[in-house]
Order: sequence, then structure tokens, then C-alpha cells
Amino acid sequence: MEIRSIAEIEASDHVLGLDWSHDGSLLAVTPASGDILLLDADGRCLASLPDHGISNSVATFHPKEARLATCGTDGKLRIYEPIRDHAPEKEISVGKGWLETLEWSPDGFHLATALGRRLIVLDANGDPAHEFAEHKSSISDLAWNPKNPREIAAVCDGGATMWRLGEGEPFARFDWGGASLLVEWSADGRWLATGDQTPSVHLYDFTRDYPLHIQGYETKVKALAFNSASRSLATGGGRLVTVWPCTGKRGPEGAIPKQLPGHDADCIALAWRRGCDILASGGADGMLILFEPASSARPRAQYDAGAEVAAIAWHPSAPRLAIGTGDGMVVVLEIPDLAK
Amino acid sequence: MTDKPRIPVTILTGFLGAGKTTLLNRILTAQHGKRVAVIENEFGEIGIDHELVVSTDEEIFEMNNGCICCTVRGDLIRILGKLVKRRDRFDRVIVETTGLADPGPVVQTFFMDDDMKENFVVDSVVTVVDAKHVLLHLDTSDDSDEAREQVAFADVLILNKCDLVGPADLEDLERRLRGINALAKIHRAIECDIDLNHVLEVGGFNLDHATEIDPHFLEPEDDHDHHHHHHHDEHVTSVGIEADGDCDGRKVNAWLTELVRTQGQDIFRMKGVFAIAGNPDRVIFQGVHMLIDAANGGPWGDRKRANRIVFIGRNLDRKALNDGFRACLV
Repeated sequence: MEIRSIAEIEASDHVLGLDWSHDGSLLAVTPASGDILLLDADGRCLASLPDHGISNSVATFHPKEARLATCGTDGKLRIYEPIRDHAPEKEISVGKGWLETLEWSPDGFHLATALGRRLIVLDANGDPAHEFAEHKSSISDLAWNPKNPREIAAVCDGGATMWRLGEGEPFARFDWGGASLLVEWSADGRWLATGDQTPSVHLYDFTRDYPLHIQGYETKVKALAFNSASRSLATGGGRLVTVWPCTGKRGPEGAIPKQLPGHDADCIALAWRRGCDILASGGADGMLILFEPASSARPRAQYDAGAEVAAIAWHPSAPRLAIGTGDGMVVVLEIPDLAK
Repeated sequence: MTDKPRIPVTILTGFLGAGKTTLLNRILTAQHGKRVAVIENEFGEIGIDHELVVSTDEEIFEMNNGCICCTVRGDLIRILGKLVKRRDRFDRVIVETTGLADPGPVVQTFFMDDDMKENFVVDSVVTVVDAKHVLLHLDTSDDSDEAREQVAFADVLILNKCDLVGPADLEDLERRLRGINALAKIHRAIECDIDLNHVLEVGGFNLDHATEIDPHFLEPEDDHDHHHHHHHDEHVTSVGIEADGDCDGRKVNAWLTELVRTQGQDIFRMKGVFAIAGNPDRVIFQGVHMLIDAANGGPWGDRKRANRIVFIGRNLDRKALNDGFRACLV
């Protein structure tokens, strides 16, 4: 499988995140500091959007429209309609403190963020919609239920707490006694996975109301990704990428995972291509590796980015993906074989 | 992929009103050419406009059923994990704790979390002490445990507001603090006006400095200070052990392992050097609670082979520690 670089753009700093618009016409680049960039599908820079103080956190596109929301350590959240104008349509001062996470609901009606222990949900225009009781500690990540756009999970010290819009109490809580840092919800709504402060993953099966604890990782798990069919969960946590089956009544319980070697340093970013079983893995060794775990544990293709691959985003339809590196490069890559 | 140098961290402790903010403002306004990031506690009041001052709630992550030795500061992991990704990385970090905070989890954060360990190195714990009021905290107040622990954890004690206390009382106070922490360097100051090299370039956790133990403090208790000997019922104290000759490496290892397993919660700091039989080099170590770090300290050369260890902790049994170590001698 061949990987071709079709564009390289230099951002102002370590790339924290990349996000394609719903139709793949725009790519948002979030560097740790400096301007947030807006690129077209071929990697040409269309606009530079203002930063968020000490550090940016997230720039994320609406799931159905060309609307972009950004936030950062200045406690501000900005919403843009980048096709029309590169000035923010709305700027909301959420509060004094860092906004570290931001996610549109799957139906695009809401936007969730967290300010310290507060989980805050705004409507699509940025007006306050819901606020929940304070969490035990600062929220480090959140995830909407892809199957139910009124359900959201937040993680912090104490594990994961699941809320439903309009309800004052959480409808579920998975407190395993430690801190969770990352959270992902499978596309079918069945599984919730957390990456923890200890080198472990907690996985919750909503159909059975049943928690699983996966240990044995070399390091903290910094990357989690369910494939779009919700059949597999890919996890980092060292040099090996570990893929757990999430099918059947018991899912990963008692199953032997697939372990995918290839990186010489920790895996720090993972992303499945929508609709197929190609998994992209970014490593601290500077390598982007494409795996097809269903057929082989061996890498299908590799690309040397020269610096840690900190962010990966597959184009929603075209056979291409964007990667962002620790030294601030954004590379748009094409994989012609995936077009066949 | 690049081997960036680790960023030194200074942990600044001290009770409310002792002068921490004064010291921080001095550090931030001094012309030392370093970019300093400050993580100040939620009550922090740094008065100058500075880009890299971040306020935080002190959030403890318990990692192993609440064991104090396994707790880390989640807020530091989150905040510093983000800041360290900036291209224009800062040269130094200062973490200011609240007056009531236990410095243990702050120190442990930089030893136990892989990302923190990779990017940061603890330079020292600096405790600012209000010379006028510290005895109140040490002796009578509800927070005496915290006050003693802050003194016990320190590599540097800044005895501030010395102008408010007479010379004899200052001597007594220093002696009292030494009884709690025999390893710390004590600097007297007024309004925290102190050479910043005494604060920022300490190397308190550097193993190369682990053997810089003033032999004076290894003498038996009653052999010094007899002119002004006051009895304080300290349950936070220093215990020094010194013994010539070699010890058995396996026995030392077993002794230390058992010691931190059973008493790690009460041992705040430990440092020392061992002469291990059959090893031509010095073995140096330092530790915090259950965490122990050891390294080769280079050849003994012309120095006499001898063992020196200091423990600082709560309810230490001097005799048991001495007996335990002496059983390791060959």
C-alpha cells in the first residue's frame, strides 16, 4: 500500500488535534500555541484563526454543517462559520479557567465543554442549555453517545459519569476508584472505554451493565479508538497497538487481543478509517503505520513523519488522511489503494 | 524523538502568610533570564502580570487504594502535560502549594507519572517559614502535623521575617528546625530577599548531592547543642546513621525494601551513601516515602569507606533503624 504526501503545512506549534469538516472540504488544525489554521482538502491554508492564550485545546467541526467551534486556556469558546467569514460568529466567555475539551453532539444540536469540575452544554448557537452537578475533580475528557445525542459521558478522578440532558442526576456512574483521563463511546452505544491514570483501560458494556478492567499495558493508554462498526477497540499503551474484539455477548472478556507491532516508541494516536478496517497509528517514534488487523498484524504501510505523530484525522470520504506532528508539521497524505 | 533536557521543578511550600507570594514575585521579576512557569494554588495572589501563571485546585489522584505513597497531583499532570507541548517551552516550573498541602503527592507526581518523569525533574522543595509565628504552627495549632511535614520535606528552609525575632530566638528556632530536618539548608531572610541561586539551583533530588550530609547532624543527639538543649516532643524528626566499613548489598537492599514497605508512609525523605562489599564505587540513594532512587556515586578514591544515611519522618525509631542497618554490615 503506497502512501503519498500531497501537502505539508507548518503550524506554529505541536499539533494537538486535526478535524475535517463533515463534507471533507475543510481541515482544522489546532496547534498547542499560536493561530488555529483552516486548510482546504488539499492542504492549502485558507485562514488563521486567533489563539486561546497560553494554549489552545480543541477545534472541532459541527457534524452536519460547516461550523467550527474552538476553545482553550483563556476560558473562551468561539464559534465560526468559516465558509462565510473567518471572524467568530460568537465568542462565549465560559468562565475563569481552562477549557480543555469540546465536542458537538452527534445530531449537532449541542456543544459540550468542561470548565474544571463543571460539565457545560450549550446549544448550537452557543447559548447555555444544560449544566450538571459538579464532578469530583476536573473533567479531563468527554464523549457523547453516538446512538443517543442526549447522553454524554465525562471522565475525571472517580471514573466516568453518564448524564442525560434535562436530568439532574447521572443515569450511570462507573467509579473504579481511580482517575480516568480519556473516554470514547462506541458508535453502537454499547461500549464506553476509558484510558486511565494507571496503565489500564476500563470498558463498560451498557447492554449488560457490566464493567471490564484491562491491564498489562506498558504505559498509560493515550489513544483509544472504536472502529465505525463498533466491532473493535484499538488501544495504545506502549509500543504495541492492542486491538480488542467487542462483538458477541462478552466482547473482550476472556478474548485474546490482536497485538500489532511496528512502533519503536509509544503509540500516541489512533484512528480507524470510517467504513473499513484500516487503522492508522501514530507513534512517538515519528512513524505513521497503517494496519489492517482483520487480515494481518503486520503493518500494511508506513510513513516517516520525522517527529512524533500526535494527531491523525481520516478524510470522511476521500482516500486520504491528515497527520500532525510534535514539531508542528501538518501533512496531508493520500493512499491510492484505498480508492479502489 | 528528541532528547530535550528535563525541566527543573521547584516545589514551594509554607504556611499562609509566611512569604511564598513575596518570594514568587521576586523570582518572576528578577533578571535571571529564565522563563518561569508558575502553578499557583487556588488562593495564590501573584501581583504581577505574567503569562505563565496558572491557578489550580489541588487535585489528588489516589492510585492504589488510598496509599499516601501512591498519590499524585492530577491537576499538575494535566496542566504541565499541556504546557510542555508548547514550542517555546519554559525553563523552569515552580509549583506553589497551599499552606495545608502535603508536599508528598507533589513530589511523587514527578517520580511516578511517566510523562512527568520524562519531561521534568524535581530540583528541590523550598519551604518558607515565618520566623515569628512558626512555633505556633509547630506546637499548638491544629495544623502542626502539616507544618512539621512541610519542614520535614524541605531541601531549603527560608527563615523569613528574621527582623521580627531576636538573635537568640533565631538560634533556637534553627536548632528546632534542624531537629526535624537535618538535611535542609537554612537561609535567613527579610521579606524573602535571598540569593535566588539558593532557591532555584539546589539539586536537592540530585543523587550527586545525596552524600552532602553535614556530619555534624549524624552525631548522637546529646553530643551537640548541649548549651541550649530544649526538649520538644517531636514526632517528626531526623535520624542519622553513620558506620565505617562495608555492608552487604543484598542485606541493605532487603532492609530498605522492608523498611519502606512497612514504614514508607511515615518516611518523608531519605538520603545516603553506602559502601557495598565488593563494589569499588560508592552507592548513593535518595527517596521519598516508598520511592527509592539509587545510583553509582563513582569511586571512593582516597576517602574512607563508610556509610551515611539520614531518614526524616514521623515516629521514627532511632534504635530500630540503627540496629537494622548495623545488621547489614559485614
